[in-house]
Amino acid sequence: MKITGYRVETYLMKMDRAVGDANLPEGVDLMPGSILYLETDENITGISLGFVGGAIKMLFPAVEGADPREVVGLWTRMNDWVHKTGNEGEANYALGAIDMALWDLKAKIADEPLWRTLGAREGRVKAYASGLDYCLSDEELFAFYRRMAELGIDGGKLKVGLDLPADLRRLGIMRDALSIASDRPQLMIDSNEYWSPKQAVRYIRQIEEKFDLTWVEEPARRWDYDGLKLVSQQVAAAVATAENINSIADVYPLISNQAVDVLNVSGLHSGVTGCRQIARMAQTYELPVSMMNCQANFMAQIAAALPNHNMMEVVDPGREHCLKFSSRIEDGYIILDDSPGFGVEIDEAKLAELKAHPPTGKGRFPFPRREGAGRYTVPPAPGAVPWRRGR
Amino acid sequence: MKITGVQATWVPDATANRSLARGICVVEVATDAALTGFAIGSSDVRVQLSAITDSLLVDEDPRGVTGLWERMFRASRQDGDDALCDRAMALLDVALWDLKAKANGEPLWKALGGTRPRINVNASAARVGASDDELERWCGSMVQTFGIRSASLVVGVDSESNLRRLELMRKTLASLTPEPGLMIDAQGSWEPKEAIRRVREMEERFDLTWVGTPTRGTDFLGLKRVSNAIRAAVCAGGSLGAPPAFLPHFHHHALDIVQVGVANAGITGALQLADTAFGFELPVALSASPGHVNAHLGAVMPNCMSLEVLDIEPRAAGFKSDVRIESGWAIAGDRPGHGLVIERSLS
Repeated sequence: MKITGYRVETYLMKMDRAVGDANLPEGVDLMPGSILYLETDENITGISLGFVGGAIKMLFPAVEGADPREVVGLWTRMNDWVHKTGNEGEANYALGAIDMALWDLKAKIADEPLWRTLGAREGRVKAYASGLDYCLSDEELFAFYRRMAELGIDGGKLKVGLDLPADLRRLGIMRDALSIASDRPQLMIDSNEYWSPKQAVRYIRQIEEKFDLTWVEEPARRWDYDGLKLVSQQVAAAVATAENINSIADVYPLISNQAVDVLNVSGLHSGVTGCRQIARMAQTYELPVSMMNCQANFMAQIAAALPNHNMMEVVDPGREHCLKFSSRIEDGYIILDDSPGFGVEIDEAKLAELKAHPPTGKGRFPFPRREGAGRYTVPPAPGAVPWRRGR
Repeated sequence: MKITGVQATWVPDATANRSLARGICVVEVATDAALTGFAIGSSDVRVQLSAITDSLLVDEDPRGVTGLWERMFRASRQDGDDALCDRAMALLDVALWDLKAKANGEPLWKALGGTRPRINVNASAARVGASDDELERWCGSMVQTFGIRSASLVVGVDSESNLRRLELMRKTLASLTPEPGLMIDAQGSWEPKEAIRRVREMEERFDLTWVGTPTRGTDFLGLKRVSNAIRAAVCAGGSLGAPPAFLPHFHHHALDIVQVGVANAGITGALQLADTAFGFELPVALSASPGHVNAHLGAVMPNCMSLEVLDIEPRAAGFKSDVRIESGWAIAGDRPGHGLVIERSLS
């Protein structure tokens, strides 16, 4: 079997609700999407979801004519292909997208779900809920985590960083909503690199006087291994990070300097192959990894096969309008069936409709960093978020 | 597909010279799908094999090998480290991967996701106590048959004879290549300072690619000290067993080249270590294995440097390998699974 060609579809989706964090608390409800179709000479097509980018033209020749079952070897070829400019930016998007589509193909050729191709014993992954919820009112916040708790999910991750009293109140709301799933729900917070390390320590310590936190995510900048390590040494919670880095090459300083306690991984870490490399390195260091949220939770296929995976982020804001998929959440776990590959198909009619009539709403591309980050706090203006009324 | 049982056979072998066990353990994992996976090792672990199989593997789908590895690993850690248990697990993991590849009708290297491996071979004179003549003959035949361009000498206590034998090896290799790769293997026999003196003495006359296990393999402090004081890379790991033993070595940068293979908790364990090494920008040297099974693993290691080969006749005589070695390269074939087949009766 040979790879013969590719097609990229980019589109704009309007989610069922807005999502926001410390950098953009008012939130967005528009999200760009792209789909890579990798075509073969045997009428099987591999797909990947996420971001593809313009570098695909430059990188595709690295895999053209190759057997998709040789995906790990092809990963090295692609990584070497971009040696001079590096596996960064647009090239990194394209490399990850191609790698994921190749894995989809490899599993489809074997007529098995990807979790089985990767050697998982079962298609089952523990989930935690993540509201991306700075733009939600207290009522909406409760409703989201209660809906998740009704699916058996007993952990939640709250967006924080701009208003300590509000964050404390909202943590209590999240815990109460999750309490039907567990007497002691796992509580996580995420400030998306808004703090300096010492701001983080002060803020987190105050939260820890009232709540037992499982992890704090991105409490300092993504590459600041000294700062992340400082935070980890001064708070009881684990430090989770790595969301915004590209590959195992960027994980090296984080791990070797003991700057991280939980690694957030995803397809954006150089595809399935790159994601698994990071997980294996973490495993040698006795560190857990946590899969990040994605459309239709398709990366649960990989999480299921990582021995050191703890739980996967589930957001469920409604990003699957043009997708058909069969995974579901039950008793707090993402359950994957035996559908081949990622178990995701494209609803081409719906996709064509989205492309013909792009939705309108609130969007910010690229997603910005907020004023004051790492120096001083700029809380949301009165009325900018539902939980902060005019004074 | 389900595992129905595991059959373990012990074949005494008086010529096996590297382990105390003096024999070959053949493990066959049977399934309800008329497919059998197998593996060969050098320790008699029949007791451990049957315990692991009965409690953890029967009725499981062998294609879930990574998950089963984790299951076996957890269970084996409940009683602390147990080397025989680790070896049994490594054999089972290889047999399960063999099954997984056979289920897809693919050679192992392809099932793992690799492009066809073409791996630089280094010959390793494992036979301790061979005479100079025997060494020269061995090296000459490795050059003629396999076209090797680099070789490793097991060094002893006598400095003069080490230097003499290195020169002998260099000369023999020089018939094929003007700049042969020379390595030594101390098999963990030196104190750190002794290693530094001995290696420096050799380095006055020879350019060494690596020094294998100059101190005890677990002594990450000693390995690091040696690495800091010599030119050659320090290579070790093959004797360390399962991945957890490598954490101090990685963390303290005690290794310049990480030696891995199926002996490191099977294929699953070896792949974990290789990706960790990749993260640390370290090359991987694949250790010797029955039928060169490790060659398949190199196909998915971006940092694979070489494959160790001990002899013309595979150690596990009676088993045929699908890995051929020519012009100094190991190339895996297309036979489904790891490509080893039994050629003689086991009884």
